[in-house]
Amino acid sequence: MSNSIFGWLTIILRRDLLIAFRRSATYITPLIFFLIVVTFFPLALGPQESLLSSLAPGVIWIATLLASLLAVESIFSEDFRDGTLDNFFISLEPSFVLVFAKVLIHWLITGLPIMAASIIAAIVLYLPFDSFLPILLSLILGTSFMSLLGALGAALSLGKSAILSAIIVLPFSIPTLLMGTSVITSSINSQDYFGFLMIMGAMLAIGIPLLCLLTVEALLLNYD
Amino acid sequence: MTRIWKILKQWFIEMGSPPLFYNWSSKIIPWLGITTLVLLSLGIYWGLFVSPIDYKQGDVYRILYIHVPSAILGESIFIFMAICGFINVIWRAKISGMMLKAAAPIGMSFTLLVLVTGSVWGKPTWGTWWVWDARLTSTLILFFIYAALIGLHSTIEDKTKADRAVSILSIVGVAIIPVIKKSVDWWQTLHQPSTFTITSSPSMSPEMYLPLLICLLGFYMFFAFSLTLNLRNEVLDRERSKAWVKQNFNS
Amino acid sequence: MLPNLKVENLSCVRSEKAIFENLNFDVFPGQNIEIIGSNGSGKTTLLRAILGLIRPENGTIRWLDDDNNFNEYRTYDCFYQGHQLGIKNLLTVFENLNLTHNAKGLKKEKIYKCLERVGLSNINDLASSLSVGQRKRISIARWLLKDFKIYFIDEPFSALDDEATNLIERLIIELNTEGCSFVMTGHRPSQVNASRIEI
Repeated sequence: MSNSIFGWLTIILRRDLLIAFRRSATYITPLIFFLIVVTFFPLALGPQESLLSSLAPGVIWIATLLASLLAVESIFSEDFRDGTLDNFFISLEPSFVLVFAKVLIHWLITGLPIMAASIIAAIVLYLPFDSFLPILLSLILGTSFMSLLGALGAALSLGKSAILSAIIVLPFSIPTLLMGTSVITSSINSQDYFGFLMIMGAMLAIGIPLLCLLTVEALLLNYD
Repeated sequence: MTRIWKILKQWFIEMGSPPLFYNWSSKIIPWLGITTLVLLSLGIYWGLFVSPIDYKQGDVYRILYIHVPSAILGESIFIFMAICGFINVIWRAKISGMMLKAAAPIGMSFTLLVLVTGSVWGKPTWGTWWVWDARLTSTLILFFIYAALIGLHSTIEDKTKADRAVSILSIVGVAIIPVIKKSVDWWQTLHQPSTFTITSSPSMSPEMYLPLLICLLGFYMFFAFSLTLNLRNEVLDRERSKAWVKQNFNS
Repeated sequence: MLPNLKVENLSCVRSEKAIFENLNFDVFPGQNIEIIGSNGSGKTTLLRAILGLIRPENGTIRWLDDDNNFNEYRTYDCFYQGHQLGIKNLLTVFENLNLTHNAKGLKKEKIYKCLERVGLSNINDLASSLSVGQRKRISIARWLLKDFKIYFIDEPFSALDDEATNLIERLIIELNTEGCSFVMTGHRPSQVNASRIEI
């Protein structure tokens, strides 16, 4: 049985990744968007090194949240429009796995590129080399939680404006924002940041089952 | 045990059916209204005119009799909504969905009232309308979450669908609000030593405490009162094509 | 002989309006049901209610399992084809078949054979380059991936040329002899041998 779930997971992953790679915009746009938002801060605030490096954790995280919200709408919309989603739900495969796979794909095509770009952002915002590891660690946990939340937002606002899913998701992403920036700030001040990471991990651990189940419920709503 | 459960369930189903609800709620509305009026006028009169003056803040502190109850209400209404949402998602009880819809604007208004009274209170005591204090910040976020729920409801045309969507979101909300509060606390201690603590007056005298309690009860009754009124409107609106509504309003 | 599926007293209410009420029918192996109705009469809703995508207000749907018991849950895969065919433009013809849940664990040869049976030879072309008729053929090829007991097809005959219509009719007869049943919807009765329900 576990083997068959795994088989299904790989089918969805292969299918969606193939589509994503053949349409390069899906993974490039969040990346470019992230870099543009990061660039805007020095332009707006001036290029002083001390100012920028003290604001950098917040800048990186705000850019991350906005960029990962950008692609949220596409998580389910195409499959819903062309009827693939109906078939997924009608099959005997667990729909929980479907949502999980979709979240994973969203993370692979937005979270991962953003993590790569965050190092560039850290360099141009004059963050010390020591903070790169905490930035990456906090982004791994934070962007995956954002993908989970984003999937719920996308399911609730399926077929409606993208701004609606942003309004739904953003208030709920505040703990991620606060914890994520705290990790980076503490590491710059050479304080212990591990506690914040653990909280982010705990949020992710509770979020995966809870949010995936609620997303299934929210998706089924669209058929009523 | 199962029999009690069955009887309870039956009772809930009957009480929740729209025509029956409309009937029995019309009987309790006057009582709710009267208790609200009595409790609120007693509590506010006592708080504003009778209770002793605060030796540090003077008369300004009396805004607390509005501020604190609305803060408590703003949060407990959210918990109430999440319970309604849970019932709506699991058992698809229509009335609980309507309750959720009816409670949301009330909760949002109370949260707005907390923010407004808080900044009015803050100006004379701290000299500023707003500080990024942990409690203020998490109340503001609660306000945003209310706005998200109401916004989501208004974008879905089918009312029952909208109820269920908001139910799902309110469950997420109630799970994440404690996390928000905690993380805002940590965030604040990380960024600045907290200069203001609103957990003031740890030893409140009973003359100050009692009217606050009465005000709080009055606010709860007000919530019950306005919720019932809202809910009756909602029920009528949704069932306007049903026979019982037409009968009620033609005769 | 026992029916594979029993639908009893099925009713659905949406937005305070009854979409269909008290529908009763059985689906026996090798027999077809055609649901006839105009646009917006709830044909798709009916299929979705039977397959468990939405909760009906009333009635039961019972499925036969391997031990000849009727259950309210399904123990085997059914084939469902909605209004939209679920064909991805950026996948090739072969991938459009291979990367669906029904093709899980199937060998490549089996998929080639399915495509051959519906007359698709350009299996490495992207689906975006195909004509409407060819896209329809991909969806028909999916019917053949496994032995489904019941096929639920939403409007199989809409917007088809004669050749494809013939192909579908031939396949339905073929699959019927193997004991598969079809539950179809349509605006007007088709040429297929089926008992008809009007909603």
